Amino acid sequence: MTKTKTSSSSIRILFFLCLFGGFSNSGWSQTDTAKASPETTEEEDFSQYDDVGFAESGAKRYCSPKIEGISPQKLIGLGFDYQAAYKMNLGKLTSPSANGDSLQYNVKNSSGLRFNCNIPVISKTNIVWQMGANYWETGYIIEELDPTQGSFTSNPVATELAENGLRTMGLNTTIFKPFNETNFILFQGSADLSGDYNWNLMPAKYLKYSAALVFGKRPSERKQWGVGLARTYRVGELNYIPIIMFNSTDAQNKWGSEILFPARAHVRRTINPRNMIFAGYELEGQSYRLYRNTDYRSEDLEIRRGEIRLRMVYECSLKDFIWLSVQAGYRINYRYDVDRLENGKEIYRAFGLLSKEPYVMTNSLTNPLYFNVSINLVSP
Amino acid sequence: MRKSLFFTMLVALTTLLTSFVNQDAAGDRLIGVWEPSNGRARVKVEKIGSKYYGKIVWLKEPTDPVTKQPKTDKNNPDPALQNVPLKGYRNLKDFVYAGNNEWNEGTIYDPLNGSTYSCTIKMTDKNTLEIRGYIGVSALGRTDIWKRLEVKTKK
Repeated sequence: MTKTKTSSSSIRILFFLCLFGGFSNSGWSQTDTAKASPETTEEEDFSQYDDVGFAESGAKRYCSPKIEGISPQKLIGLGFDYQAAYKMNLGKLTSPSANGDSLQYNVKNSSGLRFNCNIPVISKTNIVWQMGANYWETGYIIEELDPTQGSFTSNPVATELAENGLRTMGLNTTIFKPFNETNFILFQGSADLSGDYNWNLMPAKYLKYSAALVFGKRPSERKQWGVGLARTYRVGELNYIPIIMFNSTDAQNKWGSEILFPARAHVRRTINPRNMIFAGYELEGQSYRLYRNTDYRSEDLEIRRGEIRLRMVYECSLKDFIWLSVQAGYRINYRYDVDRLENGKEIYRAFGLLSKEPYVMTNSLTNPLYFNVSINLVSP
Repeated sequence: MRKSLFFTMLVALTTLLTSFVNQDAAGDRLIGVWEPSNGRARVKVEKIGSKYYGKIVWLKEPTDPVTKQPKTDKNNPDPALQNVPLKGYRNLKDFVYAGNNEWNEGTIYDPLNGSTYSCTIKMTDKNTLEIRGYIGVSALGRTDIWKRLEVKTKK
């Protein structure tokens, strides 16, 4: 009996030792930080952090894809684009079908929704890979002609624009690969389906592929530049052009530039990190397949649409990561001609250096004011 | 019978306490000084209560180019906080060790734009962290790699 009592009290002592030992252990681990609170920091000699090294041998630093002060990248955006009234002179379709009349139409407006998204797939220090998708549409409100002159059906392009409008949708990818703290390459590629289609999409063989490769440097936190080459449809038809990137922010974080020449170039004025104004231009364009009308489908016709948008842009944070973007400017027509593919192949003119093959329909547009407003979710 | 029950309870309690202590030790591996990939700052992670916090202890460019004074949190949307010095500023808050080398439930603050993001931390090896700041869902975010630094003790 006595033995049992002794054993029982030993166990109790052991139990309490374990109990208090365990808690006190965790109590000790907090003793060092008990003085600090989440809201305040203690006085500390920060100079001890001046001279430090990586704990791991061989660790490298890499430059970031962004520079200080640059506008936030848009992850998801939904917008509306509106071009005010303008005149559209559409020519006659030349051989072999020699179809339609050369007429001038009054476009009341052209407008449409624009959706873009860009989602990071891999976002690490040594590589950033994003995938994106876009859908843009342009609907045309065209005034009826005087019956003595003709109607929409008098010109095949006017018919397609008035009845179907133009759409482009595509997928794109961006890869940023830094090599060290200064040097990087940037690759962008996209596949777009552009034409007068509706929900019945065109076959994938009509996809247009664009790409750009830039070799860049980031000499400081506030500057990055690069040179490269692009395969692009931005002026309506296929071109291979050199490109120059130059992004910068001044020391006061008030002024900067965001340039990917010749695609776009803007001067940035930062009111504060949540309010920015831009002045500059963007080239927009695509080759739109005239597919929906079966009469012309076999003729392999494509509208080479290219325009320059001189503009002011205001971007601001509405709430946290939701940003508003408002553009207003002048849409300058660069090209709106129709090309016929030769045996299904595009004519590569290289701005007239390699081919002077004429377009099968030469058109001209006057230049209206335009507006664009979008709501965007921006990236961290 | 009572003795056997008592022993069972004792073993269970000891195991529980040991696991708490081990969990603490595993979580405490986050404590230290870390450098984000851009090399612009160094962040010291410490433990306060049962949570982990990080504060900026070094800046590559510590002086404001306009005022020539030490940089403050001038982009903070709260005007009352815009004069708080960046050095010593807590930019990582409220992280809890969730096991499996991950700390979550925390936030990260970006002084460059004054935004606070949800954040998870994953330790891929003892000297490397993957810090993922995101908006709402983890897919809408960006991961940065932070490396552990060795602070040399002054003689």
